[in-house]
Amino acid sequence: MLEEQGIATTAIVMVREHAEKVKPPRALFVPFYFGFALGKPDDPAYQHRVIQAAFDLLQAAEGPALADFPEDDAAAGATMPQASQVTAEPAQAARSAADEVTALRAFYERWVEGHSGRTAVGLSGIPQRRFRGLVRFLEACAQGDAEADLTERPAGVSRPQFIRYCADDLKAFYYEARMEQQRDATEEALHRWFWGSTAGGKLITDVAATLNATEDPNLRALAYGLAR
Amino acid sequence: MPRLETLSEVQRRTLEFFPCLENDAAPWTAPSHSLAQSRVALVTTAGLHRRDDQPFARDAAGGEASYRVIPSDCDPADVVQSHFSIGFDHTGIYRDLNVTFPMDRLGELQERGVIGSVSTNYYSFMGALRDASRVIEETGPEVARRLREEGVDVALLTPT
Repeated sequence: MLEEQGIATTAIVMVREHAEKVKPPRALFVPFYFGFALGKPDDPAYQHRVIQAAFDLLQAAEGPALADFPEDDAAAGATMPQASQVTAEPAQAARSAADEVTALRAFYERWVEGHSGRTAVGLSGIPQRRFRGLVRFLEACAQGDAEADLTERPAGVSRPQFIRYCADDLKAFYYEARMEQQRDATEEALHRWFWGSTAGGKLITDVAATLNATEDPNLRALAYGLAR
Repeated sequence: MPRLETLSEVQRRTLEFFPCLENDAAPWTAPSHSLAQSRVALVTTAGLHRRDDQPFARDAAGGEASYRVIPSDCDPADVVQSHFSIGFDHTGIYRDLNVTFPMDRLGELQERGVIGSVSTNYYSFMGALRDASRVIEETGPEVARRLREEGVDVALLTPT
């Protein structure tokens, strides 16, 4: 489409087999895991090499031109366990997500401050200082209260969508706080901590289980994107 | 990703049987200028948008064909992701937006003169669509027209 408008495109692609079928005009296959298109977070030099390799394809005389990024040492995300693959520690069930949110707040705020205000929290529109209320809402959803709602939900956003935005915000809040707390934590350690040790992780798993137990295919699809 | 042979059986089969498009050939536009004279846009399928814009929402059929405009001069702190898949590791973008959407990197390339300029706007779609027909017929061509009107020569496409 873009090429038909006279714009030369070069794409970073993560599934070589798909690129072979779709045949984009210029595509750089990168051997990284999903979520890491440019290989390494916080490594500008490495990211520049990926971008340059994609731009190099603009020199190709004809297409489709499919090239492989030559470096294969960015293994981040290789072992991303989903919730069901993490063994919960026994103490998890007794913890309170609302209390965790309060305890993690200082770490989260320091993370945001250290990242020029960048944060993945922000889909629900609820400020993190009011996340105890967001937790109570998700707890009501987990208990099957189909009426539970928050006044912050925008008119154009359905309640199921809002549940997802709240869950995504809560996850991002926990992960960013944890990355501040343990700066060297691997991705795998972060996922194991969230799903296996925190009440927040258990809360999202519980919301997903409740939605999954309904007959509504939309809610079940939503659950699949919360925890599985 | 991931070379397929490194994945779990379930993930590998999902990807192998994903209903992706099959094209016989690729359209082709040779670059009109050298990169150092080109206006470059970012177009992503990472489900990104400005913080005050409408997040992406999964529709009944599991799709979402709309797009969001991200001005290239907006503060990267105002860009968030509402991609509805947890099949990828979100920690990468939690740490650094550029691992998916290299707006800082493109700005640096402009400063160094490697590219002529960055475009006025970048564009973002939702990825992992099982049915891309509305993107192909409507929203994709619309973004292509906008990019042409904005004088873009080259688009760098990034996934998540």
